[in-house]
Amino acid sequence: MTGAALRAFVTIAIALAAGVLWWVFSLALLEGPGERLAPLAAEALPRSGVGNPVTAVLLNFRAYDTLLELAVLLAAVLGIWASGPPDRGFAPAEIVLAGLVDWLVPLLILAAGYLLWVGGQAPGGAFQAGAMLAAAGVVLRLAGTPRAGLPRGDWQRVLVVAGVAAFLAVGLALMAIGHGFLTYPPGHAKWLILTIETAATLAIGATLAAAYVGGSPPDGPPGEDRA
Amino acid sequence: MIDTLALAITLPLLGALAAVARPRAARAIGLITALVTTAGVAALVIEVAQFGLRRTDLGGWGAPLGIALQADGLAAALLAMTNLVALAVSLYASDYFGDGPIRRHFWPLWLLLWAALNGLFLAADLFNIYVALELVGLAAVALAALTGTREALTASLRYLLASLLGAITYLLGVALLYAAHGTLDLGQLANAIAEGPVAWTALVLMTGGLSIKAALWPMHFWLPPAHGNAPAPVSAALSALVVKAAFYLVLRLWFGLYDTAATLAAAHFLGFLGAGAVLWGSWQALRAERLKRMAAYSTVAQMGYLFLFFPLLAAAEPGAAREDLLAALVLFALSHGFAKAALFLAAGHIQQCAGHDRIAELSGTAQRLPATTFVIALASVTLIGLPPSGAFTAKWLLLSGAIAAGQWWGVLVVLAGTLLAAAYSFRLLGRAFGFEPTPYRCITAVHTEVPALALALTATLGLGLAGDALWTLLQVGGPR
Repeated sequence: MTGAALRAFVTIAIALAAGVLWWVFSLALLEGPGERLAPLAAEALPRSGVGNPVTAVLLNFRAYDTLLELAVLLAAVLGIWASGPPDRGFAPAEIVLAGLVDWLVPLLILAAGYLLWVGGQAPGGAFQAGAMLAAAGVVLRLAGTPRAGLPRGDWQRVLVVAGVAAFLAVGLALMAIGHGFLTYPPGHAKWLILTIETAATLAIGATLAAAYVGGSPPDGPPGEDRA
Repeated sequence: MIDTLALAITLPLLGALAAVARPRAARAIGLITALVTTAGVAALVIEVAQFGLRRTDLGGWGAPLGIALQADGLAAALLAMTNLVALAVSLYASDYFGDGPIRRHFWPLWLLLWAALNGLFLAADLFNIYVALELVGLAAVALAALTGTREALTASLRYLLASLLGAITYLLGVALLYAAHGTLDLGQLANAIAEGPVAWTALVLMTGGLSIKAALWPMHFWLPPAHGNAPAPVSAALSALVVKAAFYLVLRLWFGLYDTAATLAAAHFLGFLGAGAVLWGSWQALRAERLKRMAAYSTVAQMGYLFLFFPLLAAAEPGAAREDLLAALVLFALSHGFAKAALFLAAGHIQQCAGHDRIAELSGTAQRLPATTFVIALASVTLIGLPPSGAFTAKWLLLSGAIAAGQWWGVLVVLAGTLLAAAYSFRLLGRAFGFEPTPYRCITAVHTEVPALALALTATLGLGLAGDALWTLLQVGGPR
């Protein structure tokens, strides 16, 4: 088969597959149960400790999924660390960019704190707040800070595992006192969720920033590679 | 209240966190975690054997709102194999990596992979399976790239892309089922699924995605380079455990979730792909120039045997004959897990001592590394399917099933695959017993040889002679 014929064949095959998928998905949506799990989640929302249904699903109903998602992020950054030391980064910023960064980074951190807190009642939460923190790190690195504002090797490692660690600590402590793994006792859900989310925000921010820096953090003595 | 189901996942996860935070102590943390995790899973398996099905609703919400973990006989059997192999791999790895930087990177990723595998076997929720699959995939790819050579990085990138494609395809099927039935819980879906285009497309998508991850021929292209270039303990885990986990999910989907809906024609198609895997994988293993490459192609072939069971299982009426077939399938998967891990660990020892793993230049291995050669011979007994190994029992039941069902092509494929396996095993052993001396840097090392020996003995003698226990265990609420 020539190259052009093969390409035409592949195009037709993909178009056919897409058509079949389109048909089947519309069939499933038309004949499906309509509401699915949303009414159940809305009904259970008052008992979840938070007012935002997305946060309730992520941190309460399906918290175990979120725990594994944080572990996926951890695996990704460990894979990046295993691939060698990072690049040297960029030259220090000139005065205009440096001035902008001085304004931008505190604002980003403030916005992250707001998103974390508001996530209990309105759109927001650990993932959005963590992404904000990471954005602050990216801005710092672009402006010539080699470690993107992350702490030294040892503390960076602690930050990166903080999210999963908080999750496990809460889950196992609840199991130990008889509630079952990640089963929040009534009335305490809000603060337990906020604890986990705070740790997760720091971990997600550090993980994404470390992924942007690329390469393993130096384990040298303190002060060796001060930014 | 101690929840052994949650512990099976959280214990290795805790170890992984500690190993990240304290890289200098990673080896000690890894070994302690390996022991504790294996003990925890042993407790879980004993619970299943004594009290039957174990299920726990995480968060106390219950399906369909929350996520459940569940252990039946099938899950317990695979958990037992996985954790024993993982323990042996950990003991072996504690010596293998020396003091280099690779050691620091190995332990956290390895413990994450272990936690994710345990999570997969216990998952009772389709989306949770997807999350665990992603964790297995990412950790496995990062581990396969650890040597840092150009070949390893190329192979790992290809592995990553194949793995992501598989996971996304699987997720598409999950989305379809959720749109149609509004639940993700395996038990509830099994009752809800009705025959029709939606159910079929979802099954095709999920099976397609998972068979990429299970390296079913012809989607096996990523496996030989990735498994052949990884560090030996990683190769052992990838070949023995990671592809097996994807296969376990296919089995759950076909005979747990879909059971009544799966048809014979589709099962025959999977069987044909399995036959292709047996013949092509064995032939490539026979032609391989390097020992680890040979072992990797042998994995492709052995995964094929597992899919050969599908048409027989789909055709069999529920009853004793079908339970025998299912047990034989599991026995085959477990035997291969133990034997292939042993073979890769032995290959790693040979590679470290000889400085290479070219089969043609391995003469004299039997004189210099007698224990390791014994491991290879024992593993070969299982890979070929000779008595008294568990693989012999399994192949015997596969053959009788194929004859009883009149599927003669299956009989021919099994016989041809067995002959080819004997050929590639004896080609290696023939070299090992040669008289030309090959320079070896070391003679024996307890740390590296005992785990491999224990695995090979389990595969060949343990499973072969203690198959009864497996039959009893599988009676616990498995796929009907």
